[in-house]
Amino acid sequence: MPEALKGIRVLEMTVAVAGPTAAHVLGDMGAEVIKVEEPAARAHVPGAIPPPVESAADRRHNRVVNFNELNRSKRHLPLNVATPEGRRVFLDLAATCDVVIENFAPRVMGNLGIDYEDLKAVNPAIVMVSMPAFGKSGPYRERISYGPGIDAMTGMSHLTGYPDRMPGKPGNFFCDQNAGLHAVFCILAALRHRRRTGEGQYIEMSMLEGELQFVVPAVMDALLNQRDQVRLGNRHAWLAPQGVYRCAGDDAWIAISVADDEEWRALCAVIGQTELQADPAYATSALRQERHDDIDARITTWTSVRDKLEVQEQLQAAGVRAGAALNQSDLFRDPQLTHRGSFSWMQHPEVGAFPHTPAAWRSRRGQHGAGGPTPLFGADVDYVLRELLGRSEEEVAGLVERQITTYEPLGWHPPD
Amino acid sequence: MTNALDGLRVLDLTSGSFGYAGRLLAGLGADVVKVEPPDGDAARRQPPFIGDQPDLERAARHLHFNAGKRSVVLDLDIEPDREQLRALVGTVDAVVESLPVGYLAARGLGYDDLITRQSDLVMTSISYFGQTGPYAEWGGSDVVAMALGGYLYITGDPDREPVKCYDNLIEQQTALQAAVATMVGLTNRDFTGLGDYFDVSAQDAALFLLGGNAQTAYFAQKVYPRVGTRLLYPQPESFYPSTIRPCKDGFVHAHTNMRFPDLMTALMEEPRFSEPDMLATPMGHADEFDQLMDEWLSQHDKFEVVRRAQALRLPFTEVLTPTEIVADEHLQERGFLVEIEQPTGEHVRMPGAPITMTATPWQPQAAPLLGQHTREVLDSLAGGQAAARGGTSDA
Repeated sequence: MPEALKGIRVLEMTVAVAGPTAAHVLGDMGAEVIKVEEPAARAHVPGAIPPPVESAADRRHNRVVNFNELNRSKRHLPLNVATPEGRRVFLDLAATCDVVIENFAPRVMGNLGIDYEDLKAVNPAIVMVSMPAFGKSGPYRERISYGPGIDAMTGMSHLTGYPDRMPGKPGNFFCDQNAGLHAVFCILAALRHRRRTGEGQYIEMSMLEGELQFVVPAVMDALLNQRDQVRLGNRHAWLAPQGVYRCAGDDAWIAISVADDEEWRALCAVIGQTELQADPAYATSALRQERHDDIDARITTWTSVRDKLEVQEQLQAAGVRAGAALNQSDLFRDPQLTHRGSFSWMQHPEVGAFPHTPAAWRSRRGQHGAGGPTPLFGADVDYVLRELLGRSEEEVAGLVERQITTYEPLGWHPPD
Repeated sequence: MTNALDGLRVLDLTSGSFGYAGRLLAGLGADVVKVEPPDGDAARRQPPFIGDQPDLERAARHLHFNAGKRSVVLDLDIEPDREQLRALVGTVDAVVESLPVGYLAARGLGYDDLITRQSDLVMTSISYFGQTGPYAEWGGSDVVAMALGGYLYITGDPDREPVKCYDNLIEQQTALQAAVATMVGLTNRDFTGLGDYFDVSAQDAALFLLGGNAQTAYFAQKVYPRVGTRLLYPQPESFYPSTIRPCKDGFVHAHTNMRFPDLMTALMEEPRFSEPDMLATPMGHADEFDQLMDEWLSQHDKFEVVRRAQALRLPFTEVLTPTEIVADEHLQERGFLVEIEQPTGEHVRMPGAPITMTATPWQPQAAPLLGQHTREVLDSLAGGQAAARGGTSDA
């Protein structure tokens, strides 16, 4: 189990995707992450949930798949911070931590009396990270938005999708994962600064500005050349041909990129278009751009009657960049992902074996993979309150009694 | 001015969009020495260029990804330059590289060679599929990595081929992962005195972006195809809208707050939105939602739609074009766009910080001319001035 960040303690009070992602990456690398969640959170979980493993209690809130994926390698403390007692616990805990991460709307932490100034009063060297959608200043600071709404405002939607259709979006919450990883980067930089100077700080991770880094060529084209770039679908500004082509079978596709003229000739040989290899009309990337529709038709004629994985093997063997558009089922059988251990299997006490996706690196010294399983709801009430904060058994019982904390979601009742 | 990464020196052997890793480190104050081949980083040759004229010093990606770095030209195919590189490694804390798998090792510059020059080196290699395994030698590209990481399959419309994201999103995301890995390694080196080697793959970076998608499918024993601009895993009772629709002068992202479904009726004065069957199974009525929304939206422009929706606390946003982004009042007020004087003497407006650190601010910086710092860096090596590395001292 990774221990690269052992000794760093993180207090996380975040929801959805971006904040939990930042915290689990730190937890995966050995930091101690304490997730604080509302006592009534997950009491009523809609939608499909995997069944409990045999002999486990039937507690739906512990089996929410997305939550479990994004909250492994953490400890779990339900806490009502909107009460004076709950706020006191939060501040006492923050006093023992190196980092606090939150991703609420801009005014929430201030309204709760746990903003940066409040945390600094109890822990002058704290590193606090907020992850607002648009930042805490500027005319949009009060706007509310989720990931896809931010994709729209960065130009990512305008620039992603088919040229002949409406704007599109990345398949999942790109800006959340992106903000989460940027947050980890600046947390580790801020902690380095603190090790050297003793100084903590406040960090604002605007999800909008993090995602804007990924549309810079279009933004600079607008600034410098007064040009509005448009959607190119799967085509590329300088690689040609490039596309995603139909293969045999249901919803089966292969992505192909040709980076240079040698690869073009190799592609021609594989798809049986040898007469094009020496045809000057196709000799350069620029010329192939002009004939892209024609080339796409020729490639599709060959790929559409073949299995996507066979197409991938044949093209790669010939030196052509190609990869099948793997669906979720394929991912678990992909030999390269298997080789790299790209699913970290952890044993969850109520769900059973759970395949977590680790960050994208593997390290010589084993600093990789998912650090540990996802905590059950309320699993660490006693550890945090008694061991870390030194509260007595009676004090903890009182906090439970007054619903400041809880061992099961408030409002949840065991199924009959 | 104090920087978070003051005293850290990094050797950057990446190209193209992978250069974002070094950019992040330089933006927080690391001394990032970019080693470029004699014809320069690929980012220098990729459009767009200022004024549309190909120019190694005026490519947008170069100005963005190489900002804040020093440029040293070395030809790693000749031994004297390789020896210079080894000597440079002796002066740095970290190396980040994206050369083809096996390229450095074949030239005596792999991790195992370089740690003889710097025993606690933190080295991060970026590749499409990883340094080992059945695909290690395969050719990759942004869309190919996106395909094999499962992110392509879920992006696009259900009745069409999957479609990639803008530009080199996966490559740049891989560079972000590499920057995080490098910081993990440097942090652990501060704690233990030990270096490490990190092998980052673009396929894994794409997989990471699935954020629970593979797990959801695994436990449901289903395959979830792409759904256009709607949300994944549509079930009749899933909330809706969360999608992009046309309006009078463009497009808006329309989104309902699950807790206040009647707000859609308030916004569009359409009682149908609040009828029980629509509320019980919103996604089951998605096409009807679209039709009703389109009628109202076609009468209103996007900025007005969003202003009225947000006033009701409905999280609608505008689908902005690049031209609208550079004129956006929010980004203006936050000072997101910066003007940088480049070594060419040109003042170039470009996007600024991805993050706001209050004690150790992000540095908007110029990008170097090709080889601008070759002489100064190699001279300092010869003079032994660079031998003292600043990054390992602990306060």
